[in-house]
Amino acid sequence: MVRSIVKTTGLTAAALSVAWLGFLGVVYTNMKAPPEQFGAFMSKLPVPFYFVLPFETLWFRARAGTFNVGDAAPDFTLSTLDKSGAVRLSSFRGSKPVVLVFGSYT
Amino acid sequence: MLNRLYEQYRDRAVFYIVYIQEAHPSDVWQMESNVRQHVVFLTPKNNEERSEIAGACVRNLHLSIPALLDPFENPTERAYTGWPDRLYVIDRNGRVAYKSRPGPFGFHPEEMERALKTVLAKDLREHTNTH
Repeated sequence: MVRSIVKTTGLTAAALSVAWLGFLGVVYTNMKAPPEQFGAFMSKLPVPFYFVLPFETLWFRARAGTFNVGDAAPDFTLSTLDKSGAVRLSSFRGSKPVVLVFGSYT
Repeated sequence: MLNRLYEQYRDRAVFYIVYIQEAHPSDVWQMESNVRQHVVFLTPKNNEERSEIAGACVRNLHLSIPALLDPFENPTERAYTGWPDRLYVIDRNGRVAYKSRPGPFGFHPEEMERALKTVLAKDLREHTNTH
């Protein structure tokens, strides 16, 4: 009797662990996907799940990026929002450091 | 906070906002906080529409830092893993001196300011040494 309870409990715990890890894997995969895919995934995820996930840890890992401090910054040429011209990152080399603030309104 | 940093350091460093793909367009992942503040936009369909939202962003948030527009295909966001928001400091040699962790959790302007101060102090030392 006791043995069967222990066995059932153990099996349940194992099944939950596997489901949990699988779920983490799904979330992580979506975090690594393009933002619009991740956004669509998150919008369907019930809010209680936000609080039972190690969300930050997964996010920092999934969005760690492709280069590190000390690496050459990827160059870019972008139009200014006021359409007054284009800015090339490497044009500031040798003169001033550059602060980049990535973001959007929403 | 960012405007304050810009005013404080703009003579010694270049600042740019890189306006990237929307984090919470109303048709994908709407946020209650955005609805309360009437910041509700559908996913832009082209550069022109993104540019309009970016313009509203700069005006309504009173951002004084000049803004650059990442094109619709998001090349800069992808290269820098910038979504939804992120801070970088690039030193005078074109190397990454500071890379914040991804936002929103990793977005800390005060942390960026410390890194910027370090970079500027190093530049000053090198400048002094060569003269």
